[in-house]
Amino acid sequence: MKRLAILLQVLIVLLMPALLSAEEKLNVAVAANFIQPVQKIAALFEKKTNIKIEATYASTGKLYSQIINGAPYDVFLAADEKRPNLLYRDGLAEKPFVYASGQVILWSAKKEFCQAKDWREAVQNSKIKKISIANVKTAPYGAMSMVALKKAGLWEGLQSKMVFGQDIAQSFQYAFTESVDMGFCALSAAFSDQGKNGCYLVVNEAPTVVQAACVIKQSKKAAAARQFADFINSKEAKEVKMSYGYR
Amino acid sequence: MEWLPLYLSIKLACVSTCALIILAAPLAYVLAYSRFAGKSLLEALINLPLALPPTVVGFYLLVVMGPKGTVGRIWEAATGSPLLFTFLGIAIASIVYSLPFAIQPMKAAFEKIDRRLLESAYVLGLSRFATFIKVIIPNSIAGIAASAILVFIHSMGAFGVLLMVGGSIPGETKVASIAIYEATEALNYREAGLMSLTLVPISYAFLLLINRLNRSKSHGA
Amino acid sequence: MELRIDIKKMLPHFDLDVSFVCEDERMLVLIGPSGGGKTTIIRIIAGLEKPDEGSVAYNGETWLDVGKSIFIPPQKRRLGYVFQDYTLFPHLNVYGNIAFSAHDKKDADELLRVFGIRHLRNRKPYEISGGERQRCAICQALARRPQVLLLDEPFSALDVITRRMLRDELKAMKSTLSLPIVYVTHDINEALFLADDILPIVEGKIARNWMQQTITRTVSPETGRSRAVREPRLSLAY
Repeated sequence: MKRLAILLQVLIVLLMPALLSAEEKLNVAVAANFIQPVQKIAALFEKKTNIKIEATYASTGKLYSQIINGAPYDVFLAADEKRPNLLYRDGLAEKPFVYASGQVILWSAKKEFCQAKDWREAVQNSKIKKISIANVKTAPYGAMSMVALKKAGLWEGLQSKMVFGQDIAQSFQYAFTESVDMGFCALSAAFSDQGKNGCYLVVNEAPTVVQAACVIKQSKKAAAARQFADFINSKEAKEVKMSYGYR
Repeated sequence: MEWLPLYLSIKLACVSTCALIILAAPLAYVLAYSRFAGKSLLEALINLPLALPPTVVGFYLLVVMGPKGTVGRIWEAATGSPLLFTFLGIAIASIVYSLPFAIQPMKAAFEKIDRRLLESAYVLGLSRFATFIKVIIPNSIAGIAASAILVFIHSMGAFGVLLMVGGSIPGETKVASIAIYEATEALNYREAGLMSLTLVPISYAFLLLINRLNRSKSHGA
Repeated sequence: MELRIDIKKMLPHFDLDVSFVCEDERMLVLIGPSGGGKTTIIRIIAGLEKPDEGSVAYNGETWLDVGKSIFIPPQKRRLGYVFQDYTLFPHLNVYGNIAFSAHDKKDADELLRVFGIRHLRNRKPYEISGGERQRCAICQALARRPQVLLLDEPFSALDVITRRMLRDELKAMKSTLSLPIVYVTHDINEALFLADDILPIVEGKIARNWMQQTITRTVSPETGRSRAVREPRLSLAY
């Protein structure tokens, strides 16, 4: 009898936060390139509406596969348009909308590697031993990097130097920790606290990364989710996005 | 179906197993027979990868083997190329990660040998090293086989550690466990399923082989 | 040529302090109650343990001298040592065990013949009886042509009949061996039967009166009268 009482008390204490939280909570799936901007946007949103944002960061492809397997997200901020459109087509999401446009860059912690005419010349520097790139199948920024490399005729030749990160954030992490010499990253990385200390070259051959978002249909907090979706394109949110190089 | 990741996994497992059997034996010998200040500290240090999540082990290896880390810097100075993101790099990671699995069965087998047998060898004229090779090892085959099995299986399944330090390079560090993970993420369930299915008989065959060797070598000791 | 021992060692329950000599072609038996230090003495002679003070020397060659920091490891002392058990290597067969450290493989064959165990040469230790194992152990010790032979209760784990048989064989064998033999036992009858010299060890010291106090009286089958048993010479140092 005593053991049962203790067990009940422990359970109550553990469940307390869930029971007492009067404030609402949204689970948002966020593509890895948007980590810092979304943290700032979420803070503004919480102050305004008292709705807490719990974000999960991963590659767009990974988040997409989780959602179609029933992961309980309320909003999905992808790094492409394809996957939100697929969700919409399959009836899993509401109509997607563009929330940002990003750019692929070649970033390095060592300023000397950026002293080149353009990214193509930089990448062929013989001093460069390893270059990081995000997984081309699951990360849109990785896929766009591959498009650029193929357009420049460099994809095959650079295979031996390439290191694949699971998402664009890991690609930046490899470059930032100097585990690799240069990395294909999102432009927003250059505006982050860590990225500011490096240098970068714009990869013009990479198409603009058009990023779309959507509200997940099975979300139980549809109203709050739509509120957040609207907030993403609000004026305050636009300011944050621009400070990170998004258009 | 891609065969390269499977080949890499087997190669990694074989290299790790061979390296660890050789590396772990002297360590297991020291732990089994010596008494010295700090022995329990050493043992706890060796067993650390058992207690930590693989990603933590991977993280520390990333730091140490990276261009600014102790090992990575020395390596790069000596050879001119980085240690991370190479097959050797993941082999080292796999060895560190599987070290406790190699040591424990061997140490237990060594401890089971009666000291008087060793003393008998010394009196008969064998040095400590000769005794290790000619008496201890032949009488610990079961323990060594158990170590080999554990290390092989553990290396085949290494994932979190390799995710951190591997860089998923096809043909170099993209082993089966990572390839299956990435295929699943890319929604290529067929590919993932085929690779997973192929791993089963490979692991099973290895288990059979070791058990066979074990049974034929060790009799009542 | 003789084996000279003069050692002191602090042990958990008493202090070991003995000094004695064992000459060539003589068997010295260390006898006494269990835990009295007999095994420790033998292990020190073998070099498997070290005393706190003292020295061990054979034929003028110092094997151990604590004061002068001389220590020759067991490997270099050319001894034969027969334990009560665990002398034979389980992973080798009888021949492999005996030939293990024989300089000349012919010695191994000869020993197998002399001890009557040639038929066992391909068997593994776990496949033969206890008595056969101890015979092999003695062969293994002798195959190396040791300078000194040490035996620590070699037959204590065997049944009475086998023990008697091996005792007789050892006594017969003794005359062909020209080395000093140190034999440890707690069985008085065995000691009296085998020994040229007896050294009672009680709580780490030589106990000269121990024999008189504990000697076994046998009953003669013909007369029914008790008679005193032969008292062998007590061996003393220097």
